[in-house]
Amino acid sequence: MAGYPTEAELERRLDAWAEADPIEARAELQRELSRALGASLKLVKPLPSNRALVLQFLLAFAACAAVVIAILDKVGIHAMTVAQVGGMTAILASGGVFFSLDLVSRMIPGNRIELPFLFGLALVLLGVAAAIALLFPWRMPAAFVAEGWPCAVLELAIAIPAAAMAWAMARRGALFASPGLGAALLAPAVCLALMADQAQCMFLQAPHLLLWHGGTAAGLIAAGAVIGRIMTRRRSL
Amino acid sequence: MNGKPIDDSELRDLMTRYQRADAAALDELVRRVSPLLLRYFACTRISPQDADDLLQDCWIRIHRSRHTYRSSEPMMPWIYAIARHTRLDAYRKRRRMEAREVLVAGVPEVLHQAAPDTAPEESGFDRLIADLPESQRETLVMLKVAGMSLEEVAGATSSTVGAVKQRAHRAYETLRRALRKGRGDGGLSH
Repeated sequence: MAGYPTEAELERRLDAWAEADPIEARAELQRELSRALGASLKLVKPLPSNRALVLQFLLAFAACAAVVIAILDKVGIHAMTVAQVGGMTAILASGGVFFSLDLVSRMIPGNRIELPFLFGLALVLLGVAAAIALLFPWRMPAAFVAEGWPCAVLELAIAIPAAAMAWAMARRGALFASPGLGAALLAPAVCLALMADQAQCMFLQAPHLLLWHGGTAAGLIAAGAVIGRIMTRRRSL
Repeated sequence: MNGKPIDDSELRDLMTRYQRADAAALDELVRRVSPLLLRYFACTRISPQDADDLLQDCWIRIHRSRHTYRSSEPMMPWIYAIARHTRLDAYRKRRRMEAREVLVAGVPEVLHQAAPDTAPEESGFDRLIADLPESQRETLVMLKVAGMSLEEVAGATSSTVGAVKQRAHRAYETLRRALRKGRGDGGLSH
């Protein structure tokens, strides 16, 4: 191992590299920056704490869910058992909380991510799929497509405005376009739409729920990621 | 880890005053933070002109998003997160421009490739650092130059502490291997 640098030797070199003379910005450039930014200098109010922002998102989504469910036919709620209502509500509400936390962390540069988005998304989607598979009967509906597509359309009709609302709330922060941001904006809206869709749906069979409810949800989140990717490319043009 | 070159509490105070439209605080922030940002941008072997452009773009973004800074939070992860996205967007833009150049004109030269005649001279160890993968290099810059903690680097890079540790470990391993092969001797002159 002769000649192999020791930890101390490497640290010494790294420290020397880190403490090298700083690269000073040209004085003229600094003056130009100060002048340009100073021209539009005005008082700004800092965003509230993460906790307050998450609470705002949750209240907004809860209010929307309550209004949408109140407007729609509630046949699904009446047809479901207590376990089915409780299980689905718990998973979708957990998803809503996780996605709201993720969205808030994206609003503030430098915020730490407690749980990677993809991991959380996979957990929620698997949770929804498992809950449907375990709590609802595996019977193939008589008219699978005819009964299914209206549910998918309703989910789209609720999720898209809800995502727009999430965007309107989140854009107060410093959002950086990315596929993850697109998916993160759609994800809480999808939870809300799934909850409303579930409340009005009379076809409570696992295949119907998995494909037309869960599949539409996954497709919407994927579409959000694609939109985020397109926005990233447009931004870098 | 290296000591912090700038007291974070002073920066927080300056930032709070900047949010209150204090022009003197803005001047002081530009003076103190710009060298750190330039160091961050310059370690990717870009020309001084490109580094200046990135610095300007970064300050515009800092200005536009200054309301997202909360004085209860450390300042450096906030600054570096914005700097990182500035650099990533510039990189994507460069890649797209290069792709277009090839498609339209069929010219093989890349537009913004490192300009050895204009880039600052590198010592051997600087070269080793510049050869590291992007994610490892920026992790080292944040940890060693800016003196940020693992948690702060995780915040700035939108990743987890575990991922930051792994990138730092890999960077150390790469540097160790390179030093063993005898590269980076120029760094001894530090």
